[in-house]
Amino acid sequence: MIRTKALPMLATGVVATVLAGPAAAQGMFDDVSVDFSGLIRAEGTYRTTDEENPSNQGGNIFNDQTITRQAFAPPNLTQTQLDNLGLGGLINVGEVGTWNTLPLPGFRDQVRRGDAIPSVDNDSNYTVFRAEAQMDINIGFNWRVIARARALFDPTIYDEFDAGDVANVQTGISGGPPRLYQGLPNYFEYRVEDGNGGYENGNDLEFTGDDYFVDFPALLVEYTDGPLTVRVGNQQIAWGQAIFFRVLDVPNGLDLRRHSILDRALEEFSDKRVPMLSARVTYQLPFNIVSDAYIGRFQPTVFGNPNTGYNVIPTQFTVQDMFKSGDYDNEFSYGLRLKGDYGQWGWQAIAVRRWNPDGTFRWTSSNVEQSLDGALLGQTVNAAYALNPLEGCGSTTGAALSETAFEVAPGGVYTAEEWFNYAAQVRLSGVEGLNASIAEFPCAQALNASVVDPADDDVMAQASNQLNTFFMAAGGSLRGHIAREYHQENVFGLGVSYVTESDNDFLNQLIFNLEVSYQPDRTFTNINLSREYLVEDEWSAALVVDKWHRFFSGFPGTYIVAQALWKNKSDLVGRHLSGYGASQDNGLPPGISNATYLVAGFLQPFPNKIWEVEFAALYDVQGGVFMQPGVRWNPGYDLTVEGFYNYVNGDIGGNPNDNLISTLNFAEEFSLRITYQF
Amino acid sequence: MAIRTRMHRRHFLANTARAVAGAGVLMPLWKVIAADGDITRAYPDELLSIEAYTKGRIKPGDTIDASNVEHVADLFEPVALEQIREMGRRVRIAPTTTDIMRLSPWEYMEATLRNRGRARFNDKGNVVTDDGSPWIGGHPFPDARTALELFAGLTLSWGRHDASLYAIKQFSLSPEGDVQYSYEAGWAELAPVGRLVLDPKPYWPGHEDYLRYQSVFFLSPESERGTSFLNLWYYDQNEFPELYGYLPHFRRIRQFPTNQRFEPLVPGSTLYLSDAWAAGDPLHTWGNYRVVGRGPLLAGVSNGWNAEHPNWEHGTHGGPQGNTFWDTTVELVPEAIICEAEPVAFSRAPVSKKRVWFDTRNMMPIAMVSYDRDGKVFRSFDGSYSLYESGDKRFMDGDHPYWSWTHVHAFDAQTRRMTRLEQVRQGPGGLATSVNDERIYERYLTRNSLMRLGRA
Repeated sequence: MIRTKALPMLATGVVATVLAGPAAAQGMFDDVSVDFSGLIRAEGTYRTTDEENPSNQGGNIFNDQTITRQAFAPPNLTQTQLDNLGLGGLINVGEVGTWNTLPLPGFRDQVRRGDAIPSVDNDSNYTVFRAEAQMDINIGFNWRVIARARALFDPTIYDEFDAGDVANVQTGISGGPPRLYQGLPNYFEYRVEDGNGGYENGNDLEFTGDDYFVDFPALLVEYTDGPLTVRVGNQQIAWGQAIFFRVLDVPNGLDLRRHSILDRALEEFSDKRVPMLSARVTYQLPFNIVSDAYIGRFQPTVFGNPNTGYNVIPTQFTVQDMFKSGDYDNEFSYGLRLKGDYGQWGWQAIAVRRWNPDGTFRWTSSNVEQSLDGALLGQTVNAAYALNPLEGCGSTTGAALSETAFEVAPGGVYTAEEWFNYAAQVRLSGVEGLNASIAEFPCAQALNASVVDPADDDVMAQASNQLNTFFMAAGGSLRGHIAREYHQENVFGLGVSYVTESDNDFLNQLIFNLEVSYQPDRTFTNINLSREYLVEDEWSAALVVDKWHRFFSGFPGTYIVAQALWKNKSDLVGRHLSGYGASQDNGLPPGISNATYLVAGFLQPFPNKIWEVEFAALYDVQGGVFMQPGVRWNPGYDLTVEGFYNYVNGDIGGNPNDNLISTLNFAEEFSLRITYQF
Repeated sequence: MAIRTRMHRRHFLANTARAVAGAGVLMPLWKVIAADGDITRAYPDELLSIEAYTKGRIKPGDTIDASNVEHVADLFEPVALEQIREMGRRVRIAPTTTDIMRLSPWEYMEATLRNRGRARFNDKGNVVTDDGSPWIGGHPFPDARTALELFAGLTLSWGRHDASLYAIKQFSLSPEGDVQYSYEAGWAELAPVGRLVLDPKPYWPGHEDYLRYQSVFFLSPESERGTSFLNLWYYDQNEFPELYGYLPHFRRIRQFPTNQRFEPLVPGSTLYLSDAWAAGDPLHTWGNYRVVGRGPLLAGVSNGWNAEHPNWEHGTHGGPQGNTFWDTTVELVPEAIICEAEPVAFSRAPVSKKRVWFDTRNMMPIAMVSYDRDGKVFRSFDGSYSLYESGDKRFMDGDHPYWSWTHVHAFDAQTRRMTRLEQVRQGPGGLATSVNDERIYERYLTRNSLMRLGRA
């Protein structure tokens, strides 16, 4: 720590004592001091699996698969269209039946996604250099200014997908924020719609580029007076006793751009909470109760950008984030927590009115005017539509498509198999998603798209045929467009803690924490991406048990933690459970009734705490496990070295799309962090 | 002289064997103190003067090192003796303090004399007054007859002030003498009972069930910045304290199990919560208290304040790189009672017993050695206390100069790792050593304050 202070106290300290000034009367923080500290760190990962991130273009699992596509006659063809397709003499209007009735002769091909989209082969998902610096200005005891800056530079030593390489494939990618979708991966910028057809930074208190990131996890003024503490500025707020399970930890969103949630588990979300411009007031009430209230400008969770290491939104889809265009950046979240401790017993209660930082997703108009590009089928549809356009959808298929959720572009979905596989991966319904993208967009219907009946036995065939027909007409693939919106919600929570006392050493001093939250009428992303969101009551409950136990006299005690989380409507990251359980062969997910997760972890320091071995595991009872063994070395000299391995297996039984873990299957890696602090 | 020397040795041996006698050789110590405020009449010359004790070989102002330590080898605890013999440690000799008021906070010593004879143990083994109320201040057993009484008095009040805030610098050194870890920290204590200075006294209404509020918080380096722990000690010494902690990674206060007290709080440290003031755990979580010896000792009980440094920092010497030990001044303590205790409430504790030397003049611990489970010497602690008065420089505590500890060695005798810490005037963030300031409670000893001490 560097102290560069204007210090009347230190300069006069001994003089004051000569004058026999009393220790108490001199006060404890009567002067101004400035303290500066920080760290620099190299962080890197080494992949131990050949599996690239499937959500990215270069890791798409269909890149190396050759799939046969067959176009089918749309069931809602008009007589004119039938004539144009040369079918006028064969069938009449209304006789096509379904999308599984009439294959179009001659419209069959084979496609290998990788022919258009190059695969990548990375040794590392994440390698950055980080610097953090904090300055504290104490003005007497009552006032303090805290400024902490965090800066990262990513040398981007990755095998990357470059959208520029496919600029001449189909018509190139033109939808969405250009900095995210039309070039090399952008690792740090959070781009949202500006409401005027352009895009801007979604967080006014961070400065980012494609390979650098600067923000202020803390930038605040603090006032303390007796039992009162007020903090105003950019800050993080953490509530609840559960680690990693955010039952009561609801004030802040998460920033998943860097190492996602894959850092040291015992660090929890210290590097992840999105700081919020807010005012926080804590007050020590009588009877051992602390009140803690905040009001802050809403700031959403930030997901990894397309084609970056830990992106979890398939890059066949373009996200149009409406944080600013929807005026959500002028909204406020606020809440109150009361917490009381009485020796063995404790309790806490929260009431929060917030904008859910995770947001929801729905189909939205692509606004990309690009006509179908398929050599024969596409041109035929283009011509047929031009002859009979729908009012309000323009005179070309390009104009009509701009009013649908799809964009003719490379790097989208190429086959029905890909559609259903990825829908299942992100816990959506491939069939119902297709229907919503048609039913809610009249211009899609104008292009002869039509909903399929989920009750039909051959619904998968119907949906597949329709999808393949349009992918072929597009000349390769269609990219989907989804909007991200935000919703206000209430969170009510209760928690109780209890510390055991027992003559049995292992059962003594177990700390139990039970936390329960209730969120009435919570808004979820519909599993069909409809604009009709799912609105349901959600309950979440977490049980946490902490324990320090000394197993060996020669080693310090072991910190042990065990946790369980149960949720009745969504998974750990907010995806509705009704979207669970789909597969490439079943686009109608059966869903699961609840999500249950178990966590076990320990931290074993070695003598003098110079070495520490740690372990954390997350088990999804539906068949996935995440394990993280790690070691931390504190050699002194202001250095810290940390290494940990992430073992991820989302396929230990049953359908991998039944559990949370499979989403991160690609992220098996060893991480190394070397830190120097000053 | 030989007769008098034999006399004090016989006296100590006899008292040790009985383990019931009060302190003092020529007269009962506390009878003399009560009458004179001075210990001179209680001890023979050779226990009041190092020069007399060594027959002129060592005198105040001299430095003891490997070359002359054999003259006073029986006046050191075994680890300190080895440090001087083999590791280049040196200590400077000061005259023996006979004025009892220079060996504790003024008000504490006054209360000790005033309340002498009023303390007893209740049926739970807690110290109470003759009417069964919580203790009212000062040492309850100044003329302690048993080791339990000595430890009970120490556990009741560590720093002997109603409220203390220490700015601390801590250094942990490798066996090779490298300063591997440097920390800046704060330590706060506040007594809700037995109060002598702060109003209301002697009890803080509504807080009578607690013995002590205590916190420790780290301000640097960056990796530990914001790490803070709050201990709420029950008056009932059969109960473990409540422990709340703010860990930077968690960004919030969590309750922690409190029965593991032999853990280093920060990397590199050889200091445990259990080591605090040689009585860091509730009284009855240790047991088999016994007196095992008596005799004079050389210990740092005066002249430990470095007024010459603007931040009270101390010089170092010795060890492989000349920086393992604090520059220390010791004086001949006429009579130390050597006690042992065992950690009966801690299964698998790394310590089988601790041996603590108490200065009979003020009943403060002046050295401690702990033993591992094989009975081998494990770690040693020796501190230095002082009145914060040096020439015309004084740091005041009300109407009197401040009395407190100045520096501590915590040494792992098996690995030769050293953690040494010192009390300084000021630390980061404007933290400044302070005493008997009622604001210490709200600023450092509440759950709300823990959040402020934690990293934003």
